[in-house]
Amino acid sequence: MRSVRPTRPPRAGAPRRLFCLLALGVLLAGCATKPPASDPDALADYEQTNDPLEPTNRVFYAINNGLDTVILRPLALGYRYAVPEPVRNGIHNMLSNLGTPVQLANDMMEGKPRRAGDTVMRFVINTTVGVVGFFDVATKWGYPNHDADFGMTLASWGVPEGPFLFLPILGPSDPRDAAGFGVDIALDPFTWVGNPRDSTITALNWTRFGLNAIDTRERVEDSLQSIKKTALDPYATFRSLYRQHRHAQIEQLLNDKRATAPAWDLQSTDQPAK
Amino acid sequence: MILRRDFLTIAAATALMSFAPAWAPRARAQDTGKATSFVKQTGDRLVAVVNGAGSSQDKRAQMTQILNDAVDVDGIARFCLGRFWRTATPAQQQEYVRLFHQVLVTNITSKLGEYKGVSFVMGRARTDGENDVVSTTVNRPNNPPTAVDWVVTDVSSNPKIVDVLAEGTSLRLTQRQDYASYLVHNNNSVDALISAMKNQVASNG
Repeated sequence: MRSVRPTRPPRAGAPRRLFCLLALGVLLAGCATKPPASDPDALADYEQTNDPLEPTNRVFYAINNGLDTVILRPLALGYRYAVPEPVRNGIHNMLSNLGTPVQLANDMMEGKPRRAGDTVMRFVINTTVGVVGFFDVATKWGYPNHDADFGMTLASWGVPEGPFLFLPILGPSDPRDAAGFGVDIALDPFTWVGNPRDSTITALNWTRFGLNAIDTRERVEDSLQSIKKTALDPYATFRSLYRQHRHAQIEQLLNDKRATAPAWDLQSTDQPAK
Repeated sequence: MILRRDFLTIAAATALMSFAPAWAPRARAQDTGKATSFVKQTGDRLVAVVNGAGSSQDKRAQMTQILNDAVDVDGIARFCLGRFWRTATPAQQQEYVRLFHQVLVTNITSKLGEYKGVSFVMGRARTDGENDVVSTTVNRPNNPPTAVDWVVTDVSSNPKIVDVLAEGTSLRLTQRQDYASYLVHNNNSVDALISAMKNQVASNG
């Protein structure tokens, strides 16, 4: 599931309200109780789960779930019903193409020149041959997409993920990814382009944000429904899946050790030092 | 002369050492070949059931057969109960494993409709400790392609699938953490888990 970067709101006065909601949730719920030292197995499980704010997180999970049921899911289903699959894929590709600056910045900060090269080639090919990003020609030409965000960049620098967080609106996260989310917004030139009072710019930014949310939600619909149907504790299942998925992305990043020398330069790629 | 013999010994040892790694990967390559064909065969059987005709009852029976042949369901069940396996009574263990088989079949068969039109492409295979991991890409209508890795154990004598990794997420680990959380929130009672599993089978089966 190559996802477009997590959806983000354009600059707005929302953070303050979110903070109030967060404070309310913390007051309502508090912290998880740690098992006693006399039960080492339970303690090991607790530490491995690393979710000390679980009661608070569950409150936000419930709130998000409610919002999803009444707002986002109906929109995603309507989108799936109204827009044929090839067009949806095209829109997904365009949104992904618009994420190029952030992706490229992170590729470079991760110290992965080949990934940065892929990102540049993808942008050039898909923006031109792929008609402003609608068709993903670059993948067929040998430049497949990869994930890059500042949460992953921090991970590649050795920053630990920290405890699990379930954030209002944004969903599953952790301190590292939450910080990464903020930095990615700051890295995005679209955040800074134009006068914020210009209604056209604002409308475009909100359209991109809205489409991103609906596109992402539509793409996970089937998996989400089947998890909710089959899990005994969907919250715990989402927690596990989120972490595992992030670990897999980061491992892929760290294992991407392609040499910087181009393939035709046989002398430097095929002759490792003896 | 001693010098000469030593030299020969060293030369022989060096030769052996430089050959050994060349043999080892070849032997493993054959093994991953076996794992690949096992996964291909099992995948073909699964796809045939999903896309084939037949009542849902027929499909359930066929699916049960494939799982029993190709998947180490008992081992996965034990893994998923984690630390609670040791505290469970033998009767609870037996009942739990029996239900686990049913839940697995029920979960899979309840999704057959969504998977109609599914196909898969074989990818690379690698070894990971005692297991072989075979990569595939699963394509299904209305969904982006998914990278699915199959973890196969005991490849040479009696190959069985012990885990499936979807986009890097392990299905058995996810299941284990789901059960663990359920148990912790239900007084660590294996009986509570067993009755929840019974409900699942009853409501979806």
